[in-house]
Amino acid sequence: MSYEDWFRQDRLPHIYCAGCGNGTIINCTLAAVDSMGWTKEETVFVSGIGCSSRAPGYILTDSLHTTHGRALAFATGVKMANPDLHVVVFTGDGDLAAIGGNHFIHACRRNIDLTVVCMNNQIYGMTGGQGSPTTPKGCLSSTTPYGCAEIPFDLCQLATAAGANYVARWTSYHVKELEKAVKVGLETPGFSFIEALVQCPTAFGRRNKFRLVADHVEYLKVHSLLRAKRDRMLENGEHIPEDMFVVGELTRRNRPAMGVKP
Amino acid sequence: MKLAIDETRCKGCNLCTKVCPYKIFREGKRPNRRGIVVPELDRPERCTNCRLRNLYGRQLCGVCQLTCPDQAIHWTEEEPYEPHKVAIEY
Ligand SMILES: Cc1ncc(C[n+]2csc(CCOP(=O)(O)OP(=O)(O)O)c2C)c(N)n1
Ligand code: SF4
Ligand code: SF4
Ligand code: SF4
Ligand SMILES: [Mg+2]
Repeated sequence: MSYEDWFRQDRLPHIYCAGCGNGTIINCTLAAVDSMGWTKEETVFVSGIGCSSRAPGYILTDSLHTTHGRALAFATGVKMANPDLHVVVFTGDGDLAAIGGNHFIHACRRNIDLTVVCMNNQIYGMTGGQGSPTTPKGCLSSTTPYGCAEIPFDLCQLATAAGANYVARWTSYHVKELEKAVKVGLETPGFSFIEALVQCPTAFGRRNKFRLVADHVEYLKVHSLLRAKRDRMLENGEHIPEDMFVVGELTRRNRPAMGVKP
Repeated sequence: MKLAIDETRCKGCNLCTKVCPYKIFREGKRPNRRGIVVPELDRPERCTNCRLRNLYGRQLCGVCQLTCPDQAIHWTEEEPYEPHKVAIEY
């Protein structure tokens, strides 16, 4: 079997804009799920609202496309009602960290056995490009026409501080690394959080000087700082440029988890 | 195996042209019927997966396929080689 067998081929092509990174993240997640050897009957995908949250609609398994911000609340219910199910959540930065922020920290605190893949395009893509809690400082959006003045959330630090067992960050450029990280997340009991930085050419790229889709992917590539390199730089007291972000496995531990089959 | 782009799915984002280590995908030149400029394949038989997939019995490389946001890249089995009768006309 290959990950292509998990798609609802009759629903493709999907409605994402040309070059939208969400499609890449679905590929990588499904490749990881496929490599676990799970059946479609025992796997469930849950999402909230947003472009990213449309992902389960293109997948053959049972799924829940829920209300905005509530994916984790529904996923918690599914997992607690039937711990035999493997529950994977697709969410966006707005869905997870803005309206769903409280569900996020409490799902991490409970360390419930879910794997959450957040497609972070640093914007509200679906509603026309309003700023989100992860829009970087200085970036333009329809609600920050003079450049975002606020400091964004670091979703991975948030998940770590709140108690998640596994936390990793990659981008739509790092497809193989992302697939591996999702796989480790699926294997880890407890809350696994994988942040995937993605390009949104329509709502983010267009306003922020990424004329071509590939320009944004190139930006994500060159501004990624491997965790090991970051640690070395910190050790040597080197300055880490503000526009770089850390990628790699950021947290892996074994706190008591909820919803794990005894 | 034979590498192919599904023209009914490709949206012409050209991401595949950036990720292949052999630069097998090249930006296309002309829009197709749907108005999309689909990339061209430059000697696709060089692809690792085309050459070695059946020998190793698993997917190799596959970076272009994972990257393609529109699930447009795939491989098909090639017909086994058959000798053809060639009629030579004088
Ligand atoms: C309760 C509620 N409030 C607001 C909305 C409008 N809304 C739909 S999608 C969205 C933002 C989605 O952003 P994100 O989760 O980052 O997804 P993206 O489209 O960027 O992938 C908002 C505010 C809604 N559908 N429901
Ligand atoms: S608006 Fe952005 S996130 Fe939504 S489909 Fe288009 S490119 Fe993707
Ligand atoms: S599988 Fe690898 S080598 Fe083959 S076309 Fe895709 S990127 Fe190139
Ligand atoms: S990555 Fe996919 S959709 Fe984009 S140009 Fe290549 S084949 Fe087409
Ligand atoms: Mg978003």
